[in-house]
Amino acid sequence: MSQAAMSETYDFLFKFLVIGNAGTGKSCLLHQFIEKKFKDDSNHTIGVEFGSKIINVGGKYVKLQIWDTAGQERFRSVTRSYYRGAAGALLVYDITSRETYNALTNWLTDARMLASQNIVIILCGNKKDLDADREVTFLEASRFAQENGKRIRSRKNGLRYSVWRCCLETAEITTKSTSTKCSGMWVLKKQNTTSNIFTLDTEAVRANGV
Amino acid sequence: MANDGGRKQFWKRSGTKVPGSIQHVYGAQHPPFDPLLHGTLIKPGSKPPTTPVKLKKVSTFQEFESNTSDAWDPGDDDDELLAIAAENLNTEVVMETAHKVIQNHSKLQEQHKFLEEHLQEEKQVESAELTSVACGDNRLVKSVSEGHTSSSSGNASENSSMQRSQSLPQTSTPPLVSGMADFNTSVTPALTEREASRLDKFKQLLAGPNTDLEELRKLSWSGIPKRVRPIAWKLLSGYLPANVDRRESTLQRKRKEYFAFVEQYYDSRNDESHQDTYRQIHIDIPRMSPEVLRLQPKVTEIFERILFIWAIRHPASGYVQGINDLVTPFFVVFVCEYIEEEEVENFDVSSLPEEVLQNIEADSYWCMSKLLDGIQDNYTFAQPGIQKKVKMLEELVSRIDEQVHRHLDQHEVKYLQFAFRWMNNLLMREVPLRCTIRLWDTYQSEPEGFSHFHLYVCAAFLVRWRKEILEEKDFQLHHRSESSCWLYSSQIPVIPNREETCHCQNGKEGEREAGSASPQCAVRREMDGTGALLELLIFLQNLPTAHWGNEEVSVLLAEAYRLKFAFADAPNHYKK
Repeated sequence: MSQAAMSETYDFLFKFLVIGNAGTGKSCLLHQFIEKKFKDDSNHTIGVEFGSKIINVGGKYVKLQIWDTAGQERFRSVTRSYYRGAAGALLVYDITSRETYNALTNWLTDARMLASQNIVIILCGNKKDLDADREVTFLEASRFAQENGKRIRSRKNGLRYSVWRCCLETAEITTKSTSTKCSGMWVLKKQNTTSNIFTLDTEAVRANGV
Repeated sequence: MANDGGRKQFWKRSGTKVPGSIQHVYGAQHPPFDPLLHGTLIKPGSKPPTTPVKLKKVSTFQEFESNTSDAWDPGDDDDELLAIAAENLNTEVVMETAHKVIQNHSKLQEQHKFLEEHLQEEKQVESAELTSVACGDNRLVKSVSEGHTSSSSGNASENSSMQRSQSLPQTSTPPLVSGMADFNTSVTPALTEREASRLDKFKQLLAGPNTDLEELRKLSWSGIPKRVRPIAWKLLSGYLPANVDRRESTLQRKRKEYFAFVEQYYDSRNDESHQDTYRQIHIDIPRMSPEVLRLQPKVTEIFERILFIWAIRHPASGYVQGINDLVTPFFVVFVCEYIEEEEVENFDVSSLPEEVLQNIEADSYWCMSKLLDGIQDNYTFAQPGIQKKVKMLEELVSRIDEQVHRHLDQHEVKYLQFAFRWMNNLLMREVPLRCTIRLWDTYQSEPEGFSHFHLYVCAAFLVRWRKEILEEKDFQLHHRSESSCWLYSSQIPVIPNREETCHCQNGKEGEREAGSASPQCAVRREMDGTGALLELLIFLQNLPTAHWGNEEVSVLLAEAYRLKFAFADAPNHYKK
């Protein structure tokens, strides 16, 4: 995990969650986001792990405090206790596994109930490089996002708007950092600029394609 | 199971669950029992005041004193007694006595000066002698403690290693697994001799027609030599019978039984009802930390079978991530039985005969099952065992190191955020494998080692980092002075004009406005705490233990033993 944030300064501190079923590549995504490197020996997460990164959003420095949670069902009762106070969540599923996609509703319900009704969600369809085994189309995921998204009503300079911008930025960084490994494999679509759910397909985090 | 009965009887712990049981509560004396001090009492003469050993000890005593000072009300100390005494004394009498004392003293001092000149030379000679004794220190202290080992569950020996490791800087980084049993293979011949005699003791014990399990536990508590570890573990876990004649037949029966399970269940791994379990195991094994052997396809297969069979036969818990880690120590230790070379890491498992591999697989399965029998509630729905232990850890730490506890509390660090993994994976993610193996020597020698004693090891482990944990605060204070932060949280009401406030926080003098009003300050304080929280948690999840070896584990275990001794049966000890 990055400890580089030590001497840096920042204007905002946002808590972000990474949630989704086991084995969808949450930790790898986080690692790529923070270190901009692919990690192929990522052990499964037990409980929760942490990361942080400072990003620049519209001239403001935002420190993201990222809580990478364990995905296995049995850990649910524990991971739920980590949601409080989160401003955004990376909701990850595996495009080659419909089961992980079907679980999204539960994850979303949990996030809204335990963190905030207005939590901003970035929906990540991970493992884009295994497109041949794709079980969930991007359109399908977009529809899910549209149907479950909420319109953001906020003043242009309000804090909530900043969070939203921040998530957008996160989405972009996530996609960009994953794309460095295999360019042209990512898609970022803002299907509705005022929705609080973003949809994106990220590149697979497992190079050897398990 | 018959073995469990024997174990209980040996430890005679039946009284512990009964309230008001008559047991020694060592920590209840003043000053509380402390192995460090205790260690000093054993050989006070051999420590000249100038050695670093002594200095270290002074500092630890100070630490100890500051830790425990809260046990006493400031009021009822000596001062109060003196005050009471003073009231009954006439001032004149007091002054007179004082004068006498002073006069006496100055007379004596002159005499002393004279004497001292003569004594000086003698002293120098004496201290030179003492130093030479202390220079042989390691060997000496170790061999002294060795004498105690057999009689006191190895506690004394752990004490001495505690002193040693504090006085000696850790320089070498031991390899992952090799040399894990042979304490300091490369040090002095005297140590090797000591190890040899230890090994002999084990061999004698294991050779008899009936192995005395009680003796074996005593002996194993402070570490099992690598050569006898496989058999010792099988005996300690209750897998092998104590009777030598029955062992071979038991092994054969159990191995057969295991492979009957494999035949019965393993084909169902792709069935509708079991495929979730199997798939989870299947994706988890390759991504375990590639420490030892595990990435070899042969090993992956074995692990998958062991875990799948266990999960199917224990439906209440099923397979939970973390259980996979628990196979590794058994597997590695049992493989070591067939490897002559020290290098386990590079060993090609498939070079072993098929039959040997099958035996290792079955033995690992059964030993792991025995282990899991003791901690099943860690893995059942909602993981009540872990929740309970994390709570107990919190309560325990609040009593043994209030400062650390308060610090964590202030920064809103919840024990569940870091200790969950400690419980779920039995610290295996926190220390290198060689340390886990050494740790398990003791866990299997302790009653309820993997559940109850583990709690005290966790407490000792946390407190072990107290310095670093508390320093985090200073860093944060420094950090805060140059920058501040805002936390967006749904709990914090959105204050109008927030954008302007943000400029203020940015530390740009020009834009700083005087009116950083009070409600915002309150919010700000809360957020600073959260900033430190992350640093603390990241530290607690990435503890610098990569270089750890037997020394560190021994110290940890000794401390855990001390804590258990002082706190386990004294629920109100140091309680506020």
